[in-house]
Order: sequence, then structure tokens, then C-alpha cells
Amino acid sequence: MSRVPALIVMHADLAAALLRAAATVYGPVDDVEVLSNEGLSRADLEHAIEERVDRWKNGGLVLTDFWGGSCHMCSAIAARGRGAVQVLTGLNLPTLIDFLHNRDVLDVDRLAERLLKKGQESIRLQRGQAA
Amino acid sequence: MRVDDRLIHGQVVIAWGARLAPERIWVVDDASAANAWERDLLASGAPGVEVRVVTVAEAAAGWAGETSAPGGAFLIVRDLRTAWALREAGAAFAVLNLGGLHYTPGRTKVNEYVYLDDDDRAIARRLIAAGVRLEVQDVPATRAVTLAELDPRVTAPA
Repeated sequence: MSRVPALIVMHADLAAALLRAAATVYGPVDDVEVLSNEGLSRADLEHAIEERVDRWKNGGLVLTDFWGGSCHMCSAIAARGRGAVQVLTGLNLPTLIDFLHNRDVLDVDRLAERLLKKGQESIRLQRGQAA
Repeated sequence: MRVDDRLIHGQVVIAWGARLAPERIWVVDDASAANAWERDLLASGAPGVEVRVVTVAEAAAGWAGETSAPGGAFLIVRDLRTAWALREAGAAFAVLNLGGLHYTPGRTKVNEYVYLDDDDRAIARRLIAAGVRLEVQDVPATRAVTLAELDPRVTAPA
């Protein structure tokens, strides 16, 4: 099983900050690229994503911030027809760390399904706090 | 009505969506309207809102019906050329929000999110001459400024 590469596409500096935060708990991270949508038109953001996704030999994951944003919309367009490339929205730190732990043992589709579930489970409410 | 080359995206769905709570979003874009997959993608981008991805001709034909329909609508075009085409096709809008015209070769900077080339400025002049107020504003929390205030080249003789 080869490692699944990833590209994180988010608003402002979030992708770089999220990766930096992941590295503080996981350790040094490679094979993950980051991209900001800042100042980019739809066409330019699409091209920037395409350029990176095209380097992947066996597909990979594009991880974005929120559904309906330009990072998501452009990723969906750029990933279309490019083989095993999956686009996930709503990436948070626990989900990114789960990706890093599993990218060497699962294929793109299984990893995407796993992260979808892990991401949804990762938002929790701390109950029972004293008033 | 907004000019934004990103069409449906975060500022539209989140910031303007929360402020204006439109019942419908019209994306007026011939290229997107011609592609069923892109129509579906754009429609999925604004959950809970009816998204209509239409050609300029379809938008012009539906204009009168929309302006008298209950509930607000938000209309997006990708560039000034499309806004002008819509106007010429009979859509009488008085205000046009410029929310995202990003850099491409040949365009010069007006502010962080509006870049224009000579053709854009010529169309802007035509729109202003036709009585349209061109307001530059990315999200509702920022102040709208007219394009003429930001870019003297728009009001200068061609």
C-alpha cells in the first residue's frame, strides 16, 4: 500500500497553521501540501489545485475547510476526472491527525470514508461541567 | 446583484446569506449553465437556498418575474461583461456590487479583491452612464465604496 498524499486548501493561513499544529502533536509531516485561496480567482485557484493533484500518481485527498466555499468548489472541479482523488470538507485538527496515522495503511477511498466518520465524531460537547 | 468571479463561495453563502437571507440565488453564467455537473455543484454549495444556474438570456427572460416574486433573491455574475450583457438584454438593475474580480494578466489593482483592465473600465463607464451605481464591497461588515471613488480611471475620459 503506498502512502496517500494530501493537499489542504483553506481560507487565509488556516491550512498552514493546521498543518503546523498537527506537526506539534504528530511530529514532522511530509507529503502534505497546503494552499490558501487568498487573492485567487476561481480559475487561478482551480489551476493551483490541478497542478498539485496532477503530480499524484495514484490519487490522493484534497482536504478543505467548509462546504460551499471557494476552496471546496474549486477542489471539486479540479479533482473531477482525475482518478482516485477525493475531496473532503470540514477538516479539523483531530481529523488531520487521524489522516496522518492512517495514510500508509488505507487506500484513498477507504481513508476518505474513515475521515468522514472520524470528523463527525470529533466534535464533542464536554458535559457535566459544574455551573 | 453581485459581480464575483468565484460565483457561489463563502462570502456569498455565509456573510451575505446571513445578512440578506435570500430565498433564491441566481448564478448567471453561460458556461456553468451549459454543464449539468457544474449546475449541480453550484446548487449544492448553498444548502437550504434555491439555486438557479442560468444563461444571460434565461436570466433576462426571468427578470420581471423575479423582481415581483415574494422573498429576496441574490444574483451573481462572474464579470462586468456579463453584467452589461444582462443589462442590454433588459434587466434593469440600479446597484451592482463588485465583490470579487481577481487579478489576471492585464488587470491593474483597485483594491485587494478588485482588479480591472481597460475593457472592464470601459464597461464600468457604460454602466455608470446608464445610471447604475457600482459599489465595491466584499462582505456586509465592510463599508461600500463606489468604484468611481476608488478608481479615478473609471470616471476619467476614455
